[in-house]
Amino acid sequence: MGIYPRSLERLIKEFSRLPGIGQKSATRVALYVLRSNRELAEGLAGSLIEVKEKIRFCSICFTLTDDDPCSICCNENRSNGTICVVEGPGEQLALEESGSFKGRYHVLHGVLSPLDGIGPEDLKIGELLNRLDGEGIREVILATNPTTEGEATASFLVKLLSEKKKGLKITRIALGVPMGGDLKYMDRMTLEHALSSRTPVTP
Amino acid sequence: MNTHISPAIIMRIKEFGESDLLVTFFTSERGRLKGVAKGGRKSQKRFANCLDLFCLTSLEYELKRKGDLHFLHSCKLINPFPGLRSDFSSLSLASYMIELTEILFPLGVTDKEMFELLKNAFLTLNEGGRTDTLRILFEARAMALGGYKINLDKCCGCGRPYAGEGRVVFKRSKGVIACMKCEQESKISPGLGPDTVKALRIIQSTPWSKVEDSPLTDEMISEIKPVFKLHMEYRIDRRLKTAKYLE
Repeated sequence: MGIYPRSLERLIKEFSRLPGIGQKSATRVALYVLRSNRELAEGLAGSLIEVKEKIRFCSICFTLTDDDPCSICCNENRSNGTICVVEGPGEQLALEESGSFKGRYHVLHGVLSPLDGIGPEDLKIGELLNRLDGEGIREVILATNPTTEGEATASFLVKLLSEKKKGLKITRIALGVPMGGDLKYMDRMTLEHALSSRTPVTP
Repeated sequence: MNTHISPAIIMRIKEFGESDLLVTFFTSERGRLKGVAKGGRKSQKRFANCLDLFCLTSLEYELKRKGDLHFLHSCKLINPFPGLRSDFSSLSLASYMIELTEILFPLGVTDKEMFELLKNAFLTLNEGGRTDTLRILFEARAMALGGYKINLDKCCGCGRPYAGEGRVVFKRSKGVIACMKCEQESKISPGLGPDTVKALRIIQSTPWSKVEDSPLTDEMISEIKPVFKLHMEYRIDRRLKTAKYLE
């Protein structure tokens, strides 16, 4: 039997199941919830249930959404014909926050990772291929992360996409020195990418 | 200070907490190790772009007195093996090599030759070597280094030394060969020609740098493939989960 009442012990146990939250953090959060007013607990519990009940995948782009299709797929002001392929909803959110892309998205829900048992059939690749003809796609932007697995996934997609639709424009997001980065600390591969994809500068 | 700098191949990476990384790496001096890279996900100096799967790095780490986890100080990229990320078959074969190494060499088991084998296999794969040949070369050498070398010297039935006369069959239960007078070829006892046995002898016992030039013919590959499939499944007692991506 623990030192706290049974219900509090249970709450601590539930919090500690969350990623990045250990026993001590879980105890601190549980005690905070206990000390707070009833509204906070009700709001938290309600949100947890709501998120599980309402959030689902968009049937077109497979991002997380309340309504199907999602707000981006429904938005008629966004340009059709260009799809940006991302690994997960987090990457899509980052691109959306930048405000620099006004086309459509496709969320793969992972990258090819044989070590973790993730192959092509585990990603939303077939669904991407189906969208090519159905939506009259002219360009696919591959925005997977520049990791070993992200790069391999991009290479795999290039092959599949070019076989599926001749004349399709396939682009990869630029790789190189990040804003605020320091050339002294850059590795050989990053510098190679940065130099090979240099752009002309005009006054 | 118990700090070491050593070439290491990154085998696995897992996100750990808010900004840390849990890294499994293979070194020539201490075998397979696990370590925590504090701030590894955000670092632009200590771990800039070098904690990525299959990369060969120069890793500075501190040995822990207790437990399995080491503390990673910094690393520098030596070779990112870009060819390994150029297509799915290369990624799958590299993953397969890592998985086999993990099984044959548990944490802390040191083998310099295994490190060299893994490094050279990645170098060859990076340069676009034939994946079916590479797979066999790696399997044969890795199994030999892990203590599961196939004994090709004599027949397990009559004990007669084998000097290259006629076909033989592989016996998976003993990891040996048997002459055709003692055993029949079957699905679980595949046959090997004399030239295949000779080639297998060489690749089991010769370091990678010399083997990569010796050609394995298509016929040899088709004979050796089922032998190693049976041998590995019997010795390791399971099928590698990355194997399905190679077919």
